[in-house]
Amino acid sequence: MAVETFKYDNEIVRKFGIATVFWGIAGFLIGLTVALKLIYPSFLGFIPELSYGRLRPLHTNAVIFAFAGNAIFYGVYYSLPRLCKTPMWSNLLSKINFWGWQAIILSAVITLPMGFNTSKEYAELEWPIDIAITIIWVIFGINMLMTIWKRREKHLYVAIWFYIATFVTVAVLHVVNSIEIPATLMKSYPVYAGVQDALVQWWYGHNAVAFFLTTPFLGIMYYFIPKAANRPIFSYRLSIVHFWSLIFLYIWAGPHHLLYTALPGWAQALGTVFSLMLIAPSWGGMLNGLLTLRGAWDRVREDPVLKFLVVGVTAYGMATFEGPMLSIGNVNAVAHYSDYIIGHVHLGALLWNGGLTFAMLYYITPKIYKTELYSTKLANVHFWFATLGAIFYVIPMYWGGITQSLMWKEFTAEGVLQYPNFLETVQQIIPMYALRAVGGSLFIIGAIISVYNLWKTAASGQLLAAEEDQAQPIIDPAAGSNEKWHRRLESRPVQFTALTLVVILIGGIVEYVPTALIDSNVPTIASVKPYTPLEVEGRDIYIAEGCNNCHSQMIRPFRSETERYGEYSKAGEFVYDHPFLWGSKRTGPDLHRQGGKYPDSWHLRHMHDPTSTSPGSIMPAYPWLLEQQMDMETIDERISALRSVGVPYAEGYEDEALDDLEAQAEEITQGLHQAGFKEVDGIEITSDKKIIALIAYLQRLGVDIKGNNNPFEGLPSSKVIGTAELEQRSDNN
Amino acid sequence: METDILTTEGTSCFHCGEECSSDAIQVDEKPFCCEGCKLVYQVLEENDLDNYYQLQDQPGTSQLGSTARKRFDYLDDESLLEKLADFQNDHITRLSLYIPGIHCTSCVWLLENLYKLNEGITQCSVNFLKRELSLTFDHRQTSLRQIAELLNSIGYEPDLRLDRFEKKAKTRPDHRLWLKLGVAGFAFGNIMLFSFPDYLAGTSTDLDGTFSFFFGFLNIALALPVLFYSSSDYLKSAWAAVRQGGVNLDVPISIGIMSLFGRSVYEIVLGIGTGYMDSFTGLVFFLLIGRIVQKKTYERLAFDRDYRSYLPLSVTIVDDEEKEHSISINKITEGVRMLIRNQELIPADATLLSDQCFVDYSFITGESEPVKIEEGDTIYAGGRIVGKSALMVATREVSNSYLTKLWNDAAFDSESKGMDVSSLADRISPHFTLAVLAIAMAAALWWLPAGAEQSINVFTAVLIIACPCALALSTPFTLGSVLNILSRSGLYVKGIEVVEKLAKVTDVVFDKTGTLTRSDQADVTFKGDILKKQDKEMIKSVCKQSVHPLSQKIVTFLGGIPLRPVEQFEEQVNKGLKAMVNGHHILIGSASFLEEQSGGSFSDQEISGRAVSVVHVAIDGKWRGWFELSSMYRRGIPELLSGLKEQFSTYLISGDNDQQKQELEVYFDKESLLFNQKPQEKLDFIKELQHRDRRILMVGDGLNDAGALQQSNFGIALTDNVSSFTPACDAILDGDAISMLDRFISFARKSIHIILWSFGISLVYNIVGLSFAVTGHLSPLVAAVLMPLSSISIMVFTSVTTHLTAKKMGLAAWK
Amino acid sequence: MEVIFMLIGFSLLVALIFLALFFWAVKSGQFDDQHTPSIRILFDENKPTQKQNSSTTNKKDQD
Repeated sequence: MAVETFKYDNEIVRKFGIATVFWGIAGFLIGLTVALKLIYPSFLGFIPELSYGRLRPLHTNAVIFAFAGNAIFYGVYYSLPRLCKTPMWSNLLSKINFWGWQAIILSAVITLPMGFNTSKEYAELEWPIDIAITIIWVIFGINMLMTIWKRREKHLYVAIWFYIATFVTVAVLHVVNSIEIPATLMKSYPVYAGVQDALVQWWYGHNAVAFFLTTPFLGIMYYFIPKAANRPIFSYRLSIVHFWSLIFLYIWAGPHHLLYTALPGWAQALGTVFSLMLIAPSWGGMLNGLLTLRGAWDRVREDPVLKFLVVGVTAYGMATFEGPMLSIGNVNAVAHYSDYIIGHVHLGALLWNGGLTFAMLYYITPKIYKTELYSTKLANVHFWFATLGAIFYVIPMYWGGITQSLMWKEFTAEGVLQYPNFLETVQQIIPMYALRAVGGSLFIIGAIISVYNLWKTAASGQLLAAEEDQAQPIIDPAAGSNEKWHRRLESRPVQFTALTLVVILIGGIVEYVPTALIDSNVPTIASVKPYTPLEVEGRDIYIAEGCNNCHSQMIRPFRSETERYGEYSKAGEFVYDHPFLWGSKRTGPDLHRQGGKYPDSWHLRHMHDPTSTSPGSIMPAYPWLLEQQMDMETIDERISALRSVGVPYAEGYEDEALDDLEAQAEEITQGLHQAGFKEVDGIEITSDKKIIALIAYLQRLGVDIKGNNNPFEGLPSSKVIGTAELEQRSDNN
Repeated sequence: METDILTTEGTSCFHCGEECSSDAIQVDEKPFCCEGCKLVYQVLEENDLDNYYQLQDQPGTSQLGSTARKRFDYLDDESLLEKLADFQNDHITRLSLYIPGIHCTSCVWLLENLYKLNEGITQCSVNFLKRELSLTFDHRQTSLRQIAELLNSIGYEPDLRLDRFEKKAKTRPDHRLWLKLGVAGFAFGNIMLFSFPDYLAGTSTDLDGTFSFFFGFLNIALALPVLFYSSSDYLKSAWAAVRQGGVNLDVPISIGIMSLFGRSVYEIVLGIGTGYMDSFTGLVFFLLIGRIVQKKTYERLAFDRDYRSYLPLSVTIVDDEEKEHSISINKITEGVRMLIRNQELIPADATLLSDQCFVDYSFITGESEPVKIEEGDTIYAGGRIVGKSALMVATREVSNSYLTKLWNDAAFDSESKGMDVSSLADRISPHFTLAVLAIAMAAALWWLPAGAEQSINVFTAVLIIACPCALALSTPFTLGSVLNILSRSGLYVKGIEVVEKLAKVTDVVFDKTGTLTRSDQADVTFKGDILKKQDKEMIKSVCKQSVHPLSQKIVTFLGGIPLRPVEQFEEQVNKGLKAMVNGHHILIGSASFLEEQSGGSFSDQEISGRAVSVVHVAIDGKWRGWFELSSMYRRGIPELLSGLKEQFSTYLISGDNDQQKQELEVYFDKESLLFNQKPQEKLDFIKELQHRDRRILMVGDGLNDAGALQQSNFGIALTDNVSSFTPACDAILDGDAISMLDRFISFARKSIHIILWSFGISLVYNIVGLSFAVTGHLSPLVAAVLMPLSSISIMVFTSVTTHLTAKKMGLAAWK
Repeated sequence: MEVIFMLIGFSLLVALIFLALFFWAVKSGQFDDQHTPSIRILFDENKPTQKQNSSTTNKKDQD
């Protein structure tokens, strides 16, 4: 029963530290690349894998899951064992966790540029990787929970609560949002369509921010601020209240990402209200962190660790105030789709997540290498680069975002749009894009300085791979309080029934869902029809090229938007959209009413060289679409996959699909040839090129609602089956 | 940071930070003020626990005076151990010890590393706020006695009092309230979510039947646990009250709760409405928050201690074979021979067997001068032996000794004390309830023509909206913050229920000894020849050897001058000290003592009237002069007394002689000055005043006031160390804060006004709500807005105004 | 919009998991002491930095 001696594994901490820095720099650089592409569209052009639409998801994934993700593991693997007075439960699982996670990131680095992409923000990775993520995350969870189980310190410090919340919630979110039906090895379609898909996606999207970028870092804050300042947290009681109130509020705030969309009004309002409520706990947490340092500001002036922590927590405060404000209708109407949001997220990402991460690196590295930080001076230089960089990034984004958004909404006295040409509004803010690139560069320079500093620090010391510590085991004769609680509950039959009732109820809902989903995919607008095989292929190309990163397909019910784009979007129009492609940013114009707006030839020229049709456009050119073959082999598999998620293709239609596809492609190609486009500077236009499918899709966008046209008319299948089947189907509602 | 602090305190004890002379004890170039501190340091150093000194500078507590090494052998008593243990099996014992010494980070660290000093300890964790160390140890390897001795040796003497353990059940934290709050909060949050769609039903197009039904159903499911679990306390207490034909505030609350829930279920099930489940759960949620505030008490202070907490756990007895062993004091029977050592308490009345001894009855009578007892005389329990130990035979059991009688007095069974215990809210609630019911009836009748359903709706609506949630919250929230503020200023009030009593007092009664004066300090003046530095040093060195209060005061008076080695020290209790210091023969003591010691004679004529006691000094047989010691008033006492006199009738009833009559008459009326009062007389005096409908605030210290403190309407026990023993009382006052007493009282009064104001506010809310209700326009939305709004605004209003008031009155509003 | 049933289902499920955790925590006395833990995490068995400035403090004592 005497004191036990054990060793903390600093090796794994070191590994995660290195991974954090490495992927961090990588992610930042990719970010800079895409930023530059907005100023020089031709920058690294002509390389399909490095086109904007494919790199942007890579950037977000790299910084969120590679940089922040590794940082989370870094913090947890360092603090959790020390808080529990026991080593991580299994070094093997730790290693699997590490290498598994790196493998996932690597696969993302490979697949995203290749165009394997689900189009769902922060969830772009395709289904095999989704499964891998689930497995690795669960392994991390097991390792963490078992460590907690085997702990020697009875009390769970508040940071641990935040870690637990992170694990549980992210697991649920990831699984729910990734329910998808594989069509091929690297292609899948989500079971939800349109509005439903959007709701699930943003329920996930928001909570990803909440439980991947916030709760774990709050845990980190609650551990590292007291440690770095060597004084207890301002109010421990407050931190406990902070945790529980955050947990019960955050989960509901998702819908505010969909204000003014086709989402039901009450669901939107719900998001708004709960987002507003969130200010309280968030600021409680921020103040708790900052007040811990009251009376120690002289230390903050010297210690880079504290500096980064302070600026990080302050940024958290600003971001968590901004968030709720942005969820208020009128504010959202202006900010949404604009660069303001980009500024908002980077305020949090660069300073809150970035700041805390660098604070950890500067705190932990000397400790595990048993040495002093190589240069406090350099660290301070880094601090200023990071802070100023972030400011130079965020301010232009705010400015540009508001400017452009107001230009979109501006009317002349005669009541027509002041800037009918979208490009004008883009030209206006290109200087801001340039400034942003500068800010980003500053931040990256800082990060690179930190790499040098950390490296020299490590070199100056000696890794203490296994750090010794002592503690006594918990021998708790009164253990199993759980079971005692259970007995208590049973002794109160009423409450027990009540609680079980709730549980059963929820179980029931979850059971009932799948059927509900399929039913709900029944079209609510009769004239809305499924996509033809060629359009499906075109849509998949649209997704693969990441067009939705810059183009929304959701016209909000504002006059400024209906004037510019046409009739606003109705929920019923998206029932066959697996996945939804509403987008969240308008670097380019909305495309929902694109169908029939321009001739096919316009799209051909535009995709080959945007400036040829739209002078001054910053959209990259997609010449390869004219050269690359579309994928005809798997069209049947994709059609049946779509049917299995509720798109009413007739039984056996997958066999007709290829004929239909070729026929429709041929028709479009003929059209182009007649219009005099047999070839575009040297590239011959044939019906098997990707561009044809894409044109088909673009021309279909938003046309159904206009009249009772039948896209399948005249296609070979229409003589056999298909349309009839469709009519009959769409009649039964 | 650590370093610069140290440099500023060059010659302060490395362990406890006490001032110590340059030639103080030195170990590894570290200065120590006394052997005790040095010892602790060495123990820790040997077990490389020196981290103790790095977490915090000079973290220790002074070991000065703890010269008499405490005896813990009685802790080997099996039956006792059973009493103390929280848990015990064949090899493990778990218990928690109260350690007043805990005060800083280092303390926590050291005590949680205790196992490094004792193999047998398998677990030790500190509760800082409670000053409590919970221990698990293997009683085959070590014993509580060893642990206690260890703690004592490192300067963390556990405070072992019987009552601490007997009241254990009560002190265990009550989790149920928090769980109830958790459930209520959880349900509130989610129900808000599910009720939302209905509020926006107007704006939303596609909120079809399925949703309303689904959400309604879900709401009921979530509300059930809130009704049956979270709000059970209110329902129970209301039911109890009604059964006794009384009406307390919980009655209207329960009515509100019930009608909220019932009406909601009715609406949802029949599908005619969405119900008020969000208001319902919110209401309970806020009420529970109020409950938790109400529960707030000072974990580390005990307000209702009785003699058991004053007496030691056990006593050393001498059996027929002349063998010494210790027994728990409960086992003392008539005829048991007790051996009481220096500074130990006499647990039961007894007859002295030793030829003579000296007993300090200060706790009983307030007189600090030890009394001489001759063989065969009776010694009363509660006395403290001074000087050499005494053998005595018990004549009574503890339970009916003199000391105990103090408590057996009527004053100590709370019933007799019970005037104006019911709180403001409780007093108005019967009227309130009646009014509400009346309005509800009237409204129902008015609407009867419009159909039974409508009139029932209105009826329930009135009951719902009139639910006095805000009313229930205002008292706990106001008084809760009052408690915080007072405690920050040095007055620790027992609980919010007694604040009202403080506000109502009309008379203030003081007990002089130690109340207006400081027991540990005195006005000391030396008359006679001028003393050379080395004379002072010698005198201090000699006095330091004695525990007699006068000697101690002289030591403090002479201040931080170096000590010299003392030889042939001899103390004759109540007479004087005699010793050799570097070859000089020192005599310190009463005139008679010096005369008999050195034959010379000393005249006392020049001694001023104010002096309480006189101590003469002779060096090498030559009379050098005398110290005049008179008690010293606490800071701000004169101002306080004259201030109080304007608002209250003030009295002083002292156990002492009337030496200081004339100077006290400046502050008190002649007839309100009483001296030489026995405890019983004090008590009767209070009773007498109360019969004249006066409400008494009694400020006292020590046991001699216990009865009076109990009898008075608001008893304040004054102490210079809040965690030390204090008699039962309503509040504990930090000695230095007594000068603010008048402010405390008027602050309490203001707080009552604040409560009345908040009642007004909640009344306004009720009227607004009622206007909706009786006109039949109470929609769930209105309720959902109005009810939380009223609760929250009350919380904000009360706490903000109390803090502002406190700030205005110069009390510590914020930490 | 039936997908909302599912989302609520899952959200409630998560919330319930945490409610259960809350019960466990309170029951097992996790929150009985809401101060000492914040002090406890500051203790580190091996703190090189600490040791150094402690040696400097000793020096300070000497002069």
